[in-house]
Amino acid sequence: MTAFRNISVILIALLTSSLQALEAQQTPGELLPVRQVTLDNGMRLVILRRPGAPTISFTVQFNVGGVNERLGTTGIAHLLEHMLFKGTTSVGTRNIEAELELYPWMDSTHDSLVAARARGDSVGALELSERIAQLEDSAAVFIESNEFDHVLTRAGARGLNATTTSESTVYFVDLPSNRAELWFALEADRMLNPVFREFYAERDVVAEERRMRVEVNPAGALAEAHLASAFRMHPYGVPVVGYMADLQVMSRQDVERYYRLYYGPNNAIVGIVGDLDPDQIEAWARKYFAAIPNAEIPPVVTAVEPSQRGERRTELEWDAQPQLQIGWHVPAGTDPDAPSLAILSSLLTGGRTSRLYRSLVLESRAATAVFSSLGPGMRYPQLLQISATPRAPHTTMQLEELIYEELELLIQEGPTDSEIERVRNQISAGSVRRIQSNIGLAFQLVESVALFNDWRETFRYSDKLRAVTADDVMRIARTYLTRSNRTVTTLIKTDDSK
Amino acid sequence: MLASQSTSAQVLVRQHPAEEIGFPDLEFEPPTVEEHEVEGVTVLLLEDHTLPLATIYVRLNGGYGLFSRDVYAAVSALPSLIRFGGTESLAPDSVDKILEYYAIQTSFGSGGDVITATANALVQHFPTTIDLLGTLLTEPAFDSNEVEVWRGRQIESVLRRADDPVRLAYSEFNHLLYGDHSIGWEMNAADLEPGDLSREQLLEVHSRIVCRDNLILGLAGDVNWSEVEHLVEGLVDRIKPCSVSLPESPIPTIRDEPGIYLIEKNVEQSVIVMAHATNLNLSDNPAYFSATIGNSILGGGGFSSRILSRIRTQEGFAYSAASLWTIPRRYPGLLGAVTSTRPENAVPAIKAILETMQGLVDSPPQPSEVTTAVDAVLNGFVFNFETSGQILSRMMFYLSADLPRDWLERYLAGVQSVSANSVHHAFSEHMQPEDMMVLIVGDTERMGQELLATLGPVTIMREKDFH
Repeated sequence: MTAFRNISVILIALLTSSLQALEAQQTPGELLPVRQVTLDNGMRLVILRRPGAPTISFTVQFNVGGVNERLGTTGIAHLLEHMLFKGTTSVGTRNIEAELELYPWMDSTHDSLVAARARGDSVGALELSERIAQLEDSAAVFIESNEFDHVLTRAGARGLNATTTSESTVYFVDLPSNRAELWFALEADRMLNPVFREFYAERDVVAEERRMRVEVNPAGALAEAHLASAFRMHPYGVPVVGYMADLQVMSRQDVERYYRLYYGPNNAIVGIVGDLDPDQIEAWARKYFAAIPNAEIPPVVTAVEPSQRGERRTELEWDAQPQLQIGWHVPAGTDPDAPSLAILSSLLTGGRTSRLYRSLVLESRAATAVFSSLGPGMRYPQLLQISATPRAPHTTMQLEELIYEELELLIQEGPTDSEIERVRNQISAGSVRRIQSNIGLAFQLVESVALFNDWRETFRYSDKLRAVTADDVMRIARTYLTRSNRTVTTLIKTDDSK
Repeated sequence: MLASQSTSAQVLVRQHPAEEIGFPDLEFEPPTVEEHEVEGVTVLLLEDHTLPLATIYVRLNGGYGLFSRDVYAAVSALPSLIRFGGTESLAPDSVDKILEYYAIQTSFGSGGDVITATANALVQHFPTTIDLLGTLLTEPAFDSNEVEVWRGRQIESVLRRADDPVRLAYSEFNHLLYGDHSIGWEMNAADLEPGDLSREQLLEVHSRIVCRDNLILGLAGDVNWSEVEHLVEGLVDRIKPCSVSLPESPIPTIRDEPGIYLIEKNVEQSVIVMAHATNLNLSDNPAYFSATIGNSILGGGGFSSRILSRIRTQEGFAYSAASLWTIPRRYPGLLGAVTSTRPENAVPAIKAILETMQGLVDSPPQPSEVTTAVDAVLNGFVFNFETSGQILSRMMFYLSADLPRDWLERYLAGVQSVSANSVHHAFSEHMQPEDMMVLIVGDTERMGQELLATLGPVTIMREKDFH
């Protein structure tokens, strides 16, 4: 049997899809048997039993990230994330008393080092650096490096890691189901008794991470320059990995203070998904986490990005081929316009039939790739961003012209019914596919609780997307995709390497 | 039924009190994979009724490594052009519209000796999905515009290769070691002349690869055999028997000229990749299992391994550092390491990695290191069964590589027999740190020319030497 021999058959199929039936139903996600629990100390948990292999995904999200930083200590949320793998008063040490005695000396030596550098005393700074290295060597005698990792590795853990974004920090790991209690014991210990050991070596590691992600990576450098240009007031403009100058002076005490400020249980949301017994999981949560004392409510972000009054253009010279990034200021991800913006983004670059892919890649062959996204976060007014890679000899300027032409066409004529229908169908299938992975679900649930204090809201979002009309798309495109509201950043090849 | 074991051997390991919690055994029945045969083609089926989704997996033995260099571009382009190049009855954008309308997710890929395709859909659209996949596989049109889009993308990719020092390092290192063998190939402008992607060329390689004798199929999801049997029969029926068998890929000769190979690039971080050849093969023998556990201890086991512990945790030299020990089925593999660090630390980092390697040549690992590596495999064994796709893809690889169907269980048994002495034996026999070929992309002045020379003879690779 071979189908689709005749194009008219396809068109009939397009008009009579059974997918319409899905639209009126509750989304598959909302039917999940999720249990949401709040402990007396404010810690929130979402627990979900799913059939399958006997494994469990664990996530802990702290609502702190790049936006909770100031110039001078940029990158501190991310550095703290690294430090929380260094162990506790009982994990990672052979003699905690002897080890802890050394840190005040290390801290005060570092303060002197920063002061010596500030007054230009390079000889003194070198001596103090060597003194810190000696103190770290002394501490190393008492340290059992990477023991937190070793314990979980022996238990068969997979994917132990963490990620820091502009507005959250998430720690995650998968474990065989029979080792669930181990996670509670280790995680509660980490929240109560962290020790920021091996700090200066880890600060160097983060500096290497910055080199890898930004300083030798043209796409990373372009993204950093673009956000810095678009956000002049709001901390979305500051790189999460931090500026090198800040990383090089950050102290162990800075990180410890930051931890006390933002890592209270009331700022934490736990997601646990997999082959589990919800009653047992809740009992362990109460046993291990309830003892964590209440904390102050962390400070909120008050900075507001003023309205942009005029196009901003930035060029970044690099020993690399050109790239283009354009961003328009748009409302936060929780705004009523957010679903329309998501649909607009999909219409522009979601798949091979999207408008910009067709125009730039398939028809004019002026680009090899074009993408769009909303970000860098969701909680504050953000950017709708389009990035494109020109295909030589086409220039970024030509890509810009093609993009603006397509946007103007969309604003004037609006999307077609079939375009809207295509995006809606993708949303329907996506709402099923996105609940396939335990770890993906755990991330989704904790973010929904963080934003809306309701795990279901993440799944209701599909309904909001399906409700978007062609008029909505035209309205928001007209409102936000204006010249004066946009920031254009271009990576251009350095003259001496042309 | 499998039951996890708390430790692999009675070895004294420093344990945290949390590890003394009494953990129950993990009782688990791995899902059953059905095996069927349709006109000589093996078809695997794994029922999974948790979500209303179904996926078909296609594996075709036949990648660019089985052909000569003059069709490198055509074979490399084949998966992409099957998906995007339209069919005899459907223009490329019609295919896109159908796939997007039915929300069918596809992926097409290739390696040196294999082409793979998958298609996933809501179960009510699975018959349509299989039918369309059959049309894509058997009636490709190789639309000229799509061919040109693919060619242009590759040309641009060639142009941008040196933009990323990591990509440049890996690409040139492969070529340095494997020369003109297909493992060392990297696409260049000479491969991408319009004639290299002619319709005739594409049809020729298509007919050699997309034929029944090269095919293995897998299905997973909310379906059973009675529902899909006729669909599979229809698909197999459309794929003709092969007229000529493909040869095996030639055995590579890996270059053995230890020293430092330097690509000068003024970047803030030097990329370091080092390796030498080993003659160990993937097979059911103790040396293989000792090598896999040994690699985990050396640098393949993340923070539990020696290289990351030394290079990152102790020295702060790098964000990532790892060893590699590739153990192919038929031909020699590589043993080495990779890392990136600021130029001033490049030579100290290389020395530290070589010292770490030498440590395992000189003495056996601590028994606790072996226990950690083996326990990670045993206790984490259940993660091999997390998704039906993972299970099916693995089984299809075993069939393709002529490994026994119970290879995973044999692996589990094999690693339990590994000891500190057997790991030491594997390293003593196969690892020679002094024989490493080390390629560095970095700023020579900041790395220090004299320091680099202390590592061995230095060969400067100019851009004109790049392949």
